[in-house]
Amino acid sequence: MKNWIEAFSVIDFISVGILLTAVAMNAFRRLESCVRTYTVNSWLLSSLIAIVAFMIGETHLYIAAALTLVTKGILLPVFLRRIVKQMKVTHDVEPYINNALSLTISGILVAVVYASLSVGIFVSGFSKNVLQISIAVILIGLFIMITRRKAITQVIGLLFMENGLFLAGFSLTFGMPTIIELGVLFDMLMGVIILGIFAIQIKRVFTSSDLDKLTILKG
Amino acid sequence: MDPESFLSIGAFCFVLGAVFSLVPFRKGKSLLYLLPALAALNFAAAGLYLAFGEPANILSFPISSVFGFLFCGDALSGFFIIAISVLTFSVSLYSIGYTSSMKHQGLMGFLFNLFILSMIAVVTSGNIVTFLISWETMSVVSYFLVTIDRDKESAKAGLLYAVMTHIGTAFIIVSFLLLYAYSGSADFAGIRASAAGFPLEIKSLVFLFAVIGFGTKAGVIPLHTWLPKAHPAAPSNISSLMSGVMIKTGIYGIVRIAVDVLGKGPEWWGIAVLVVGAVSSILGVLYALMEHDIKRLLAYHSVENIGIILLGIGASMMFRSGGLYNLAAVALIAGLYHTLNHAVFKGLLFLGAGSVMHATHTKNMDDMGGLMKAMPYTGLFFLVGSVSICALPPFNGFVSEWLTFQSLLLGFSSASVTSKIVSPLGGAALALTGALAAACFVKAFGISFLGMARSGHAEKAKESSGSMIAGMAVLAVLCLVLGVLPGVVTSILSPAVYSLTGAVGPTSAMSFLHIDETAASLSPAMILITMAVMSAATLAFVFVAGGRRKLSYGDSWDCGIPALNARMQYSAAAFTKPIRMIFKRIYLPRRELRVSYILKPFFVRSIKYSGEITPFFEKFLYEPATDVIQKIAGKVRLLQSGSLHLYLGYILITLVLLLIFGS
Repeated sequence: MKNWIEAFSVIDFISVGILLTAVAMNAFRRLESCVRTYTVNSWLLSSLIAIVAFMIGETHLYIAAALTLVTKGILLPVFLRRIVKQMKVTHDVEPYINNALSLTISGILVAVVYASLSVGIFVSGFSKNVLQISIAVILIGLFIMITRRKAITQVIGLLFMENGLFLAGFSLTFGMPTIIELGVLFDMLMGVIILGIFAIQIKRVFTSSDLDKLTILKG
Repeated sequence: MDPESFLSIGAFCFVLGAVFSLVPFRKGKSLLYLLPALAALNFAAAGLYLAFGEPANILSFPISSVFGFLFCGDALSGFFIIAISVLTFSVSLYSIGYTSSMKHQGLMGFLFNLFILSMIAVVTSGNIVTFLISWETMSVVSYFLVTIDRDKESAKAGLLYAVMTHIGTAFIIVSFLLLYAYSGSADFAGIRASAAGFPLEIKSLVFLFAVIGFGTKAGVIPLHTWLPKAHPAAPSNISSLMSGVMIKTGIYGIVRIAVDVLGKGPEWWGIAVLVVGAVSSILGVLYALMEHDIKRLLAYHSVENIGIILLGIGASMMFRSGGLYNLAAVALIAGLYHTLNHAVFKGLLFLGAGSVMHATHTKNMDDMGGLMKAMPYTGLFFLVGSVSICALPPFNGFVSEWLTFQSLLLGFSSASVTSKIVSPLGGAALALTGALAAACFVKAFGISFLGMARSGHAEKAKESSGSMIAGMAVLAVLCLVLGVLPGVVTSILSPAVYSLTGAVGPTSAMSFLHIDETAASLSPAMILITMAVMSAATLAFVFVAGGRRKLSYGDSWDCGIPALNARMQYSAAAFTKPIRMIFKRIYLPRRELRVSYILKPFFVRSIKYSGEITPFFEKFLYEPATDVIQKIAGKVRLLQSGSLHLYLGYILITLVLLLIFGS
């Protein structure tokens, strides 16, 4: 089994899958698709952790994989979908720049990350590609936050960044202690719930979930 | 009893006063000001001990190996403690009556006690950290006192004060950090011990920063802008303390750092202080002349008097670097003597102004007039203060200005050409200042107290309460005592001056001063006696030679106009018109005359005259500076657009750049 995984470089494939789902975020127009992409991204992350756990035989990584699956793969998507439904109006993403340009810029970001992290002390561990991929996912998450108007897309961008961070930490340390993983996941769950409530409130107060309207708050 | 126990009893009284002030009751609350008065007596005793005794550690409370709280006193601190407590005592008495009808009585009492305690803490601080903490406490507490009325004017004045005082503190901190970096010690004593080995440029930098920092608090021109705004905004008992002693902590700082800690410096230090003093004194009095607001007028006089004090201190530094130690001692005594004198008479004048404002509800002198009849005691004490500040014998201002004159004129005997030129010029500046000050107080006293009442409020004015009169009386008597018995003050000062310059200065007895270098002597008691004898003789002569005549009382001659009224009197603006014309290059006056006619040019319906002077430093120094800052701030503000996406964009760009250039 282990040989089989190594022979087909399953780890690299899953990592690339994570990167591709992040890049694909740029191409989707509907909020529902974005949430679905995030779900796929989280499942891939979870399965990656599980496989690495199997490869090196660490029990606490199984727990991390299970937790990731439950929170990021199930709870958060359900919650996000409910928010999207509550927003009612258009389910369009409304980006500032068109999809082609935004895909191009994501590509450039990935290239920059690969170029700048190809040498150095970090290139080690179970797969030398995982770190680059994780950093690229973080940047793409941030980029999504910048280019999307709606408050809910900000939350999804943030979640992508978090997945990227998780992956980066995981690739360097083979998973943090379980208690820290638990804390981070719980934090994120709370964070997203609060952000969701905010998004609904913003929608209610400004009769739009467009974050551009927030500039009038500046003194 | 030793100074420590006096100081602790005094400090305890202040704390007690502060705490009880916060207890919510109103009846008889102003009697709590007896506590700071009591504390002031204790501090005066401790100050006397310190002035004559050995330097003493009062309280030390180490926090780490380098820093900690350290309070200690030497002769110089002792002298400033005496100055603070003298004024505190009378202002506390005065406050009993003055604050009895105030709105924020409890807060006022709390801050009052804290304010004085922090000033004492400043002059007894033994190391950098203690000094800065006390200094900031003093600044913040006085800010709250300035804005205690919570109206728009005092809020604006308070903001300006807070900004200026913090700019000053920034300079002080830099200068202290330089001292710490080069000596490795945070104690003033330790820094003093190693200061001789510092590089000269560092010493000069420390000197410059200290003079700018402390000069801001002292109110030297051009750093004075807060002073004429903050002092009038504060309640009068507070302006009395601020003008009387708080700005003197700036003088203390300059003496402590530039004279004491840094030791003998190059000649230009002294010349710089002297020039700053000369400019401050002349411009201070010139701007005071143009003020019609009695408290602003007094505030500008504080600028002037700080200038006179700095003339003495600058001359002392200059002579010290030239090796003329005895002259340096004379000049330093002159400066410090004037510090005490100014505390007493300016305190008195502000209290007098407070009484007048209490009675007339106006600060504008053109709405006063004729108050001498309604408020004879206040008028008398204000007159005593005015005569003292004009440096007329037999009051105290005369002695210190005489000493300053003597030391400046003696600059001729200096070996250096620069000081030969600079010191007589300083003397000339002082002479001009003295004359203008006299003109200014003729105006201040004459317009407010003499003549006819110029407004309904002034007509209805009543004499202030007993405690307010008592507070002023103490200071008025002190004006006379300090003027007649200069030997007492010089003997209090001589240990401090000896430790700073290594010479004793003038030889003195109770009421006698003699300076060896010029063979000039002064005996104010003799002047007093001569004045008394001469006036008695003149009266006697008139009485005898004039014979008995019948006295008849009548109105002033009115040129045949049916009734004299208050509007025919000399106004404050009219009185100073000649001076405004002579110094128009400095004032840059603007005036506007609007006449509307019924039939041109003979029948006039109304004439409207308004005139103002250009506030030179505000307009040509501060306004351009704030403009530049605002422009830069406006540019920087573009970064903060309020758009969440832009902010996130900054983060992304930073991250990408870090990735590219960081790896």
